[in-house]
Amino acid sequence: MTEEKYPINIWVNEERYEKIRSAGLADLCEEMLAGLKVIRAYANDAQKDKILSLFPTAKFDSATTKSIELLPREVKDKIFDLIVEKKKVDVMEEFLKQQG
Amino acid sequence: MSNIGYGGKEIVERILEPKEAAQKIKGPGMRAVPIGSQMANEVINIAYGWFTPLEGFMGKADVDSVCKKMRLANGVVWSIPIVFDISAGEISDYGIREKGSVLLTYDNNPMAIFEVEEIFDYDRKEMCQAIYGTTDEKHPGCARTYKYKDKFIGGKITLVSRPKINPPFEEYFIPPLEMRKRFKEKGWVRVVAHQTRNVPHTGHEWLMKGAWFQTYGELPIEKPLVGVLVNAIIGEKRKGDYIDEAIILTQDELRKAGYFGDHNHMTSLTFWDMRYAGPKEAVFHAMLRTNLGLTHHMYGRDHAGVGTYYGTYDAHYLLESIKNELSIASVYSMDWLYCPHCGEVASEGLCNHRKEWQKFSGTLIRSIVDDGVKPPRLIFRPEVFDLVMECAEKYGFGSPFVTDEYLKKRTPVFTIPPLSA
Repeated sequence: MTEEKYPINIWVNEERYEKIRSAGLADLCEEMLAGLKVIRAYANDAQKDKILSLFPTAKFDSATTKSIELLPREVKDKIFDLIVEKKKVDVMEEFLKQQG
Repeated sequence: MSNIGYGGKEIVERILEPKEAAQKIKGPGMRAVPIGSQMANEVINIAYGWFTPLEGFMGKADVDSVCKKMRLANGVVWSIPIVFDISAGEISDYGIREKGSVLLTYDNNPMAIFEVEEIFDYDRKEMCQAIYGTTDEKHPGCARTYKYKDKFIGGKITLVSRPKINPPFEEYFIPPLEMRKRFKEKGWVRVVAHQTRNVPHTGHEWLMKGAWFQTYGELPIEKPLVGVLVNAIIGEKRKGDYIDEAIILTQDELRKAGYFGDHNHMTSLTFWDMRYAGPKEAVFHAMLRTNLGLTHHMYGRDHAGVGTYYGTYDAHYLLESIKNELSIASVYSMDWLYCPHCGEVASEGLCNHRKEWQKFSGTLIRSIVDDGVKPPRLIFRPEVFDLVMECAEKYGFGSPFVTDEYLKKRTPVFTIPPLSA
């Protein structure tokens, strides 16, 4: 059985898109909402729980999108930088290690 | 002309004129009891008639009946206890006794006379189970209930000073009697309530538009006969919520920017701290809006719910079970979403491009705004977005969301002025 994955939506503005494009990762962007682009980092069940406990403002949108939302912007910036650095979206393990 | 409110009782404002108020509070032995903003909200609601047929805070018979039967002791459906909590120490310190009166003060100014009819205890855990269907302290309603002090006081409330509503909220404070007058002036024969504590995305906008169509029904179309009333809940704020100023102003912006018009849309506020009681709160909202003179009330999925405590349509089921006892009709709505195939916001009940649907929520939009990204105009009106950002600068100390700084420094929504006579 495939493990459930929960996305963290990192919305892509011009500044973020330029970084993604320069890193040759433009293909990782998806069009998600009326043309708005997003890069999605994925957390598994345990990582989701850890994220929600580390960042109390974060919320799992269980009703509509099944995604982890409302992470502070600086946190999302860190995840985004990791994606660009590692050239992949599966970066939650590294990210959580950095949080100690 | 009489204004019959919820429970078949006439709405009467329990507010004294300044001269009479000044005389009353000079009465012998009238002790001052300070209250905080949560209690002050409810004092205002009682005095202006939002809580008709209540004339004050509930006594034990009503609380017990509400918890056990979802009814007041006289049999009228009522779903959430309205209680005044206080500690035994305060009762002793302030000399509060049954059959006496005290003066409730807010920010050191006289606010209301409280005729103490009864002092009683109630099991808070039992109250939680009855109202929220859970005793879990993580449920925000339970958490609030567990924080109640150990005694409750029941009795009538009479305002001695009208609140001064501060900018930018003044024009949105429209109590029940005034609201009914405005509906008559507009010529609306049906008005549907939109309950909100959010800034509007286009899903909300279409929820309102859909409800407007449903409410219009068979009425003749020659002149505007139906309005949507956005009734924003203004109350206790949690960090990360949108700031109150952004909520109320952006809702009204939908009218100002032409997505609605004066002929079919109005924005107002109600002071209320959300209990997140799901179905029970949906019933409570029906009662509140009946008193405001509304004929219809819209309910989406998981109305006033939180987490996974309630089923998606539990509120609908409960409302249906008592619909003959409510004098406001329920308007149920499915979700609105963005369909790239249609190129527009569509209803789950209409569009059949199911595999292409792009669902969005208030939380998702907040997340986009948090990231410093402007949402597409099909999802979030540009005028609304610009106003959210303006509110951040003007009222939110740089953020459209509640921060510690906002909680500390914001201008209060209302103040109680000193007695003038």
